[in-house]
Amino acid sequence: MSSEGLEPGCCGRRVFLQRLTFLGGGVLLFGPACNADRKPVPAPPKIGGVTALAKSTGHRTFTDEDYAVMVAAVDRILPRDEDPGALDADVPVYVDSVLQTPELRQMRVDFVDGLAILQKRARGTYAKPFTDLAPEDQDTLLTQFKDAKEGSGEAQFYTNLLTLTLEGFLGDPAYGGNKNRAGWALVGFDTYVPNDYQPLPAPPGAPLVKLKTGAP
Amino acid sequence: MSFAQADVCIIGSGAGGGPVALTLARAGFKVVVLEKGHLYKTEEFVHDEILNSRRNFFMPYPWEEPHLIRHREQDPFERSNAGWLANCVGGGTVHMSGYFYRLKPVDFRMKTLLGAPAGSEVVDWPIDYEDLSAYYDEAEAELGVSGLAQAHPWAEPRRRPFPMPPLDEHPIAAEIDRVCKQLGLHSLTTARGIASQDYQGRNGCAYCALCGSYGCEVDAKSGAHVALIPKALATGNLDLRPRSMVKSIEVDSKGLAKSVVYLDANAETQTQPAKVVVVSATAIESARILLNSQSGKYPNGLSNNHGQVGRHLHFSSFGEGRAHFRVSARKEKWPWLSHHAPFVQRSVQDFYVAKGQPFKKAGTLNFVWTHPNPIFAAQHIAGEGKDGVFGKAYKDKLREYRDSKILQFETYAEYLPNPKSYMDVDPGTLDKYGIPVARISAVRHPHDYAMSRWLTDRGQEILAALEPETLERRADNGTTTILQGGTCRFGNDPATSVLDKNCRSHEVKNLWVVDGSFMPTSGGVTPTLSIVANGFRVGHELVRTLRKA
Repeated sequence: MSSEGLEPGCCGRRVFLQRLTFLGGGVLLFGPACNADRKPVPAPPKIGGVTALAKSTGHRTFTDEDYAVMVAAVDRILPRDEDPGALDADVPVYVDSVLQTPELRQMRVDFVDGLAILQKRARGTYAKPFTDLAPEDQDTLLTQFKDAKEGSGEAQFYTNLLTLTLEGFLGDPAYGGNKNRAGWALVGFDTYVPNDYQPLPAPPGAPLVKLKTGAP
Repeated sequence: MSFAQADVCIIGSGAGGGPVALTLARAGFKVVVLEKGHLYKTEEFVHDEILNSRRNFFMPYPWEEPHLIRHREQDPFERSNAGWLANCVGGGTVHMSGYFYRLKPVDFRMKTLLGAPAGSEVVDWPIDYEDLSAYYDEAEAELGVSGLAQAHPWAEPRRRPFPMPPLDEHPIAAEIDRVCKQLGLHSLTTARGIASQDYQGRNGCAYCALCGSYGCEVDAKSGAHVALIPKALATGNLDLRPRSMVKSIEVDSKGLAKSVVYLDANAETQTQPAKVVVVSATAIESARILLNSQSGKYPNGLSNNHGQVGRHLHFSSFGEGRAHFRVSARKEKWPWLSHHAPFVQRSVQDFYVAKGQPFKKAGTLNFVWTHPNPIFAAQHIAGEGKDGVFGKAYKDKLREYRDSKILQFETYAEYLPNPKSYMDVDPGTLDKYGIPVARISAVRHPHDYAMSRWLTDRGQEILAALEPETLERRADNGTTTILQGGTCRFGNDPATSVLDKNCRSHEVKNLWVVDGSFMPTSGGVTPTLSIVANGFRVGHELVRTLRKA
């Protein structure tokens, strides 16, 4: 997405995101759909209320192969270490389900295309599917996508991968991710009023400003 | 179908439309409010970042209802959701953070007192602070504002204390007070459009921390949807119609506004005739409605025979700095640092006017804890491109974030109106309703950049005096597009303004505009409270006008 309100100089394009902190951290990061008039993407075919895909694979958005690549990729974004990672938090469940949102059709198409390109790159470079690569080699490929030219399909795929991983890791558990609030625990967030909140005393009041004007 | 004629049809239910609807309904006039968005119930406001901040719960998707925007003349226009405020009953007052500053007397007389910089379109307002003062009191009382009247060099005169005491504040406020005193500055308690105690049947704040970007779960935030619209409905004189997307305002053979044409929730075209039409759909959307209302009498859009609609567009100049305090490193020194109190409640206005600087006028520094939205925070921490991280290194950064309290300031500062900052509509780009969208050229006056850097420097000095572990300069040349005004500025000359001093159209005598559009200059504060106060002022004037007729 483009920068907003910036001349070249201090602080870079990320400031676009910061701009919205005024309101409090809201941003849509589904870039490509904003800037191009694209053909409408058709809804997935359905059989008896579920997509044909779900019937054959158990996934709602992905083929088995795409799903496996997605799982491997989100696992590299947030791997398990001393704290839970993306897979512990059911990030793939979130990604598979959220991409069924009708308004996110364009993102679904872009993301599935991106997974195929990632897989192709793995086969081309290492003669193996992405899922069979050593973690270092997976990271090498993901880094290539991350560092790709701004606005390229690779860069957009990486942004979508990161965005979906974070939504699945740190979003409300009601969407199927952030299992056991593992994501929130990592960053120290929760939505509830903390039980230990003790109101603080108001500061001592300064005298009222002297009236400078007559009565209305 | 067509409805019976209303006394007044108001387009929009937020900071401008809310007070007008309330004042007219109380005076016994039959009012119809057409609101583009949903009527949300309080229980629909939940702490869900994905819903509130990352989908179209409040703001439309840029591929369904884009704004076209550019920030430099040489750039192409791009689709964006910049410049939208919440689309729902209450408008921007639903998801606001509620920083409720008043304008200062100097804001009304900027040209006379400070001069109009070359290349700017700065003018004095046709009214004075005194003309708005009593309506600030009324707005604060009706909405419910918490604050503390304090003497300081830039204190605006006020007759009444705040209706409620200030909200609880985090102990960091005392540290800000300490360093400001050292620097010779006057830190102030920030007035908030949030109830600090039960108020008019609403609950006092629950200190949940998710405030801006969210609807309030306990009705403590003083939005039009809880503080104004329900009172207007209680009179029995208000017919509130959510999900009503206005297409145009039609005129009669005399050139007076006759009716409002809109699409209802079922996409059926409806016509609402009215004696008076009041537009209050945000500065950008109101101008869009006028520009899309073309007729024989007004071939360039309603009330635009002098070519003034959409011009003098202004936003707010944005700068931001952040001080990172490591909780574990400060256990001894600042044991209170990790306290959950979400509000810092401090502003600095010593730099409202910039003495000895070419740009003359700056604005306000507001100190807040960074927004706790975790996805948004994590996105920034991940970085971008070659600076971006993932994997173990990324998780280490997220753990560091967990161990941090991040104090930020943001600026609300003058955005000089100028000939290159304007909006029109693009007939070639239609939204999902088939209506031409707003095309925004947000090109800045050079003074704005110098001013914004200077004001950001002042904020950085305050943060540095707190001796944080890390000091970060985040932005010093941004534009806050949700704070908008000027597209239908008021003035005494029809050749250079759209509205008269009462916000009534010079050209169309039964048309009024009451959102931020009327403001000729941005001021150095957030405009929300001033829009509400002006709404009450205009509402009372409308009552007098209608009673005479």
